[in-house]
Parts: sequence; structure tokens; C-alpha cells
Amino acid sequence: MNGVRRREIAKRIFAYEFNRSTHRIKPEEDKAPVYVLTPLGMRCNRVFVVGALLDKDEIKPDSGIWRIRVADPTGAFFGYVGRFQPDALESLMEIEPPELVAIVAKIGVFERDGRLFVSLRPESISVVDSETRDYWIYETALKTLERIKRMELKKDEDCKLAWQIYNPNLNEFRQMVKQALASLKEEFELIEEIEEEELKERKEIEEVEFEKLKEKDELEEFEEEFEFEEEEWDLSDILGE
Amino acid sequence: MLRILGTQSGDRMKEERIKQITNQVVEQFRRSGYDVDAKEISKRLMLLIYEFKVPESEAIRTVKNWLIKELEIPKEKLVAEAPLVKIADITKPGQWVSLKAKVVQLWDSSSPSVSQVGLIGDETGMIKFVIWAKSGKGEVEEGKSYLFRNIVTDSFQGRMQVYITRTSDIVEIEEDIQIPPREIEVVGALVAIQQNSGLIQRCKLCRRVMTKGICPIHGKVEGYDDLRIKGVLDDGENFYEIILNEENIKALTGIDLEKAKQIAAERLDRNAVLSELKSQLLGRYLKVRGTRGGRYLIVNEVEFLKGIDKAEIEKLIEEVAA
Repeated sequence: MNGVRRREIAKRIFAYEFNRSTHRIKPEEDKAPVYVLTPLGMRCNRVFVVGALLDKDEIKPDSGIWRIRVADPTGAFFGYVGRFQPDALESLMEIEPPELVAIVAKIGVFERDGRLFVSLRPESISVVDSETRDYWIYETALKTLERIKRMELKKDEDCKLAWQIYNPNLNEFRQMVKQALASLKEEFELIEEIEEEELKERKEIEEVEFEKLKEKDELEEFEEEFEFEEEEWDLSDILGE
Repeated sequence: MLRILGTQSGDRMKEERIKQITNQVVEQFRRSGYDVDAKEISKRLMLLIYEFKVPESEAIRTVKNWLIKELEIPKEKLVAEAPLVKIADITKPGQWVSLKAKVVQLWDSSSPSVSQVGLIGDETGMIKFVIWAKSGKGEVEEGKSYLFRNIVTDSFQGRMQVYITRTSDIVEIEEDIQIPPREIEVVGALVAIQQNSGLIQRCKLCRRVMTKGICPIHGKVEGYDDLRIKGVLDDGENFYEIILNEENIKALTGIDLEKAKQIAAERLDRNAVLSELKSQLLGRYLKVRGTRGGRYLIVNEVEFLKGIDKAEIEKLIEEVAA
């Protein structure tokens, strides 16, 4: 299969699993795409995410680079949109958060102090309805559970690698899926009685959110470096014109 | 010794058939380096098939087993050529078969132990195939036809599939295996809409899409307006390149050719139509029924995905809890 490279599939992944992905698979040949290995043993290069766009901030006045935060029931994705994503930038300019959006994105990776950080590099952003969001949660839950099952089998090479690198607590991920699905149930107004157990889970998720905030601090640092890269590009742009 | 019944022409037909099968068996043993007595084989086949009314496949197996015993052939030495079958005939796991088929689609392999995975098809159907990395067999290409020799069937999650292993052979063939168009249903997110979508112009002579008023074949000619979308539907496992025509687009967005022209006129920009379609369709889940024609899935019917079954969610929650 030399020649044209096949289009990368847009993987479905919750923010919780995404943000815990810290391993990059180095391409075997030049120009081969870079993949990130998630804690549940999935290789991905492109993702499809539906969630609430909470913030969009230009990281520095007139930089033309916008940082976005998009939340699903398990956490928040960070993403950066700049002039190299013209379609996404164009639509982002017309969206006022908070708003439900669907994002197709490549995964951006950045290393800092020996740890890898992942973010979204959106190719397209569009406003969607809650039905789309619900289906995404359902579909992502389904696929996450499939990954958990594969991890239990420990057969596939990527799963073995994920065990080696992350040694994940699968129950933690099951809880996350359960939480996401519970949010759908609420959507259907099927709340019978929130059991104590569920309340406990909610608290756990809040703790995760807190952790996410801590991570945000780290991401601020990440931005500085990122900006620097872009400034270099700026220069070549001016020279080109 | 044989009591042959039936008319003369019927007898001739039987003899022909027996001769045919005998030759197959003789040929197979010769390839493995054994000369066998054709006359004796014919005699036994005749007895089994027409006298004892044993099914052909059973009769062949019986004769082969007898030969193997008689000649004391070690099992592994006899590289049995698996019978050539059609995909629709594959119904049982663990059978060795050969197939003439076309590679319909290659999928992403998530496992390093798999060299290639995808769909192959013939006149009778389609089946998933897996080429194991360990098989050391060459790679196949989408759209090409091959003879897959000595492959083994298996059943996975209730569906049949075939494996290409070390003892299999893949030979590219000249013959172009025809696959009848088969309608498939896909649910996926529309993750991309290509630039040459929206309000487009087609050449009046050949219907090809023109860019900036130029037909790739006929050059600068008169064109006519049309509405279409070339996009990518992605279900998280595979992607499908789809083409939506005016009718499909109208069904989804209410925008038909007239409306599109109106939008273009109002905003003094033909691209405004594409922007509008993108904002209404990108990132949405579509349920598409269509037929595969080469690279594209030709859409017959398309609709937005309607909600999720509550019962499905309950089922999933129970599954997590268990």
C-alpha cells in the first residue's frame, strides 16, 4: 500500500481518556503519521469530538491563535486554532461560547519536562444540536467499552504496550463511561432516584475536573512554547509575501 | 460389477462427471509427487456417487483418504488444493477453500500481527479477509482481482471471514471479478466536505465538473449549474467517501438548486452555498443507504440520524455495572 496514504479514521474518545494519553508512537518511516497511544490501547491521529465549547480566547492579542476548551461529561479537551486551520478558524469566529460543537481534529502533541501533552488541532468546527451530542456520547461509550474489553484480553500488541506504559485501572475507566451514560439518562428525564453511589461518582468526577484545572496551568506554559513556534512561521509568511 | 441404471445419455453424463473428478484427484496427487491409478479412482467414485448416492464431496474425501492410506502418504506432505468456491458457499468455519475475488475495501489494521484486513467480493457476496503478517504473503490492492488459494474460513461474532495463512497463495488474475452492486447502510459522522462541493458547474457535453468555467476534457465550454456534495462519512472504524446529489441535499437541508442559486445571488458568492451546507451538515450523524461504486458510495437515501434507543443506553449501563 505505497503511494497514497489512507485517510486517518476519526476516533471517538472521551476527554478523560484523551487527556491521559502521554505516549507517542514514533513513525517507522519518514512522513508517516504520528500516533498517540491512549491508556486503553488505541492508536489515534485524528479524533471526532462533540461537546460544549466553553471558552475561546486569543492566546495573545492579534496572535491569530485561539485556545478553545470543549467539555464532554468526563472532562475538557483543549485545542488550538490558528491560520493553519482556515476552515476551523472561519467557523470559530462566528461561534459565541457556550455552544454545542462538533470538532474533527488532528491530535497535537507537545513535550514538556519529559511528559507529553495532547491537544486538539481542529480541521473543522461546527455548531450542532443536542441529539448529535447524545449520539456521540452513546457511540463513544460503546467504543470505549470495546477498548476496555480488548484491554482485558491483553492480546493485541497495542494493548500490551498500553499495559506496560500506563498500567491503567480499568474500573476507573468503566466509572467514567458510566458517568457519561448517566448524563444521557438524565437527558431523557429518566432520573429515578439518584443513588448514593452515583453521588459518590459525581464527586469523583469533580475531582477529575480539579485535576484538569491543574493541568491547565501546565498548558499555560505549553502555550508560550507554542507561540514561539508560530512566531517563526509569522516571519516566513511576511518574507513570502 | 457396477449396476448402471438410466438412459444412455444419462450414463454418458455420469461418465463425464466421474472423469472430471478423477482428473482433479489424479492431478492433485501428482502435484505432491504421487502417481495414482485413475481407473481405480473412477471405479470407486462411480460406486460411491451413483450406486450408493453419496454426495460428491464425501465421495471425493473417501477416495482421497483411501489413497493416502494405501500409499502411506504422510498427511503434511499432501498439500491439498482447497476447492474453488464462491463466497456465498462459505457457511462453516474451519474449511479450507480457494476463492477468486476482488478486493473491495482495505481497512486500517489495528494489530501488528495483521498485515492487511478488509473486504473481498465475488458475484455471490462479500466477506472479510485477514492476511496475517506471519503469512509473509504480498499485499493486495483495492479494486484488483486475485485468486486466493488455500485460505481457511472462520466465524467471528456470527459472521464468516477468511484468513490468508502461510500455506495460502495470492495470485493476481487478469479476470475482473464483477461484484453486483449491493446496498449497504452506514451510520457515521460527516467529517469532511470537499472543496469542489456546493453549487458547481458541469460541462454541457460530458457532465464533468468544471473548475473556473473549464471542463477537464472539453476546455472552455458552456456549463450548467448543479448541486452536489462530495464528503467523508466516518463511523470511527472506517470511512466512506460519499456523493450527495441535489435530491439528497434537499432532503437534508431543504436547499435545492433554485434555493442555492438564490443564496449565491444574494451574497454575490457561489461559495456561500458551500459555507451554508457545511454549517448545516458538517459534524452531523447521517444514516446513508447506498451502493458502492468504485471509490465512492453512491447515496440512494440519506437522513439525519434520529435519537438513540433508551433501551440501548440502559443495556450499556448494565454492561458497565456487570
